[in-house]
Amino acid sequence: MFADELKTLRRLGVRHVLLQILNFVSVLASGLMIWKGLGLITNTESPIVVVLSGSMEPAFYRGDLLFLTNPPNQRYQTGDITVYKIPGADIPIVHRVLETHDLVNKDKDLVAASPLAQKQLLLTKGDNNHIDDIELYQGLEWLERKHIVGKVRGFLPYVGYVTIAMNDFPQLKYALLGGLGLLALVQRE
Amino acid sequence: MGSTCLMVLLGAIALSSFLFTADPKGTIGVSSIQVFPGNARRYANKNQDFTFVNFNLTADLAPLFNWNTKQLFLYVSAEYENKQGVRNEVVIWDRIVRRKEDAQLNIAGRNKYVFRDLSASFKDAPPAHYSLKYNVMPYVGVLTYGEAARTTDAVPFPERQDLS
Repeated sequence: MFADELKTLRRLGVRHVLLQILNFVSVLASGLMIWKGLGLITNTESPIVVVLSGSMEPAFYRGDLLFLTNPPNQRYQTGDITVYKIPGADIPIVHRVLETHDLVNKDKDLVAASPLAQKQLLLTKGDNNHIDDIELYQGLEWLERKHIVGKVRGFLPYVGYVTIAMNDFPQLKYALLGGLGLLALVQRE
Repeated sequence: MGSTCLMVLLGAIALSSFLFTADPKGTIGVSSIQVFPGNARRYANKNQDFTFVNFNLTADLAPLFNWNTKQLFLYVSAEYENKQGVRNEVVIWDRIVRRKEDAQLNIAGRNKYVFRDLSASFKDAPPAHYSLKYNVMPYVGVLTYGEAARTTDAVPFPERQDLS
């Protein structure tokens, strides 16, 4: 089955194989660069996330793709859909802001350099949940800016389901990676 | 090739949303507002004030529905500054509208979510504004926000009524 491919590999020689590996690595590297570049522009550690639970149905279902930004000069408002990560929890949560409280400086002599120099307390809730998220905060009373990964600005349905499928069936992941790798190696041009 | 074509099509649909610039307006009024003491999860075992708001809403949000509108998320938000100067926005009611036919609002509602203050008291808090806001959620593309109604005058918090 692979005899033909092996024959062509032998004919093309080591240089060609190395070149293909280099190509493959450069594709990976540019992917990483695009990801990190997007992260810089949008000011979030993960500009694209996949919805993993049904707590925002019927707006977002499992497998939908969300695009985030986290502008450093904007406060969060009620109605914003935020993605937050509680320290100690490994899965980020996508929920809507229910309450915001912008605190004031106790020290009267200090003037805030920007509206964001002041602390903002947030409470969130999933559209599909009956109660707010205090139980999810693992002992915290409020969310703060430092917990927020970003807010949802764009939406693309279903596409993220590939990653969920790959998590549920790891064989699929290896098959896909192996297939792509083999393809990259034996491609002619 | 097929996927590129699909992506371009989805991109075109997402961009087409920017052509629809409906900005419907309605009215919101507070019909009654009361403050009662009680206690709840947060600040457990500490007495705190709860505000109960009855409000009237009228608005025709049907223009917000176009071919790329999946649903509207509507919410009524109370905005006020408390005695300590903390600026607050608290959502007291929300609703998801999924069909154009349901976008004609004529609602006499009351708060769905508890309405309390960080200081646990609404005593001497300046009056609050109430507004109806919406989030248009597309099938594909950018989420947009808007305000459909706002109370014309700020609504003062009443004295706390003690339960006897």
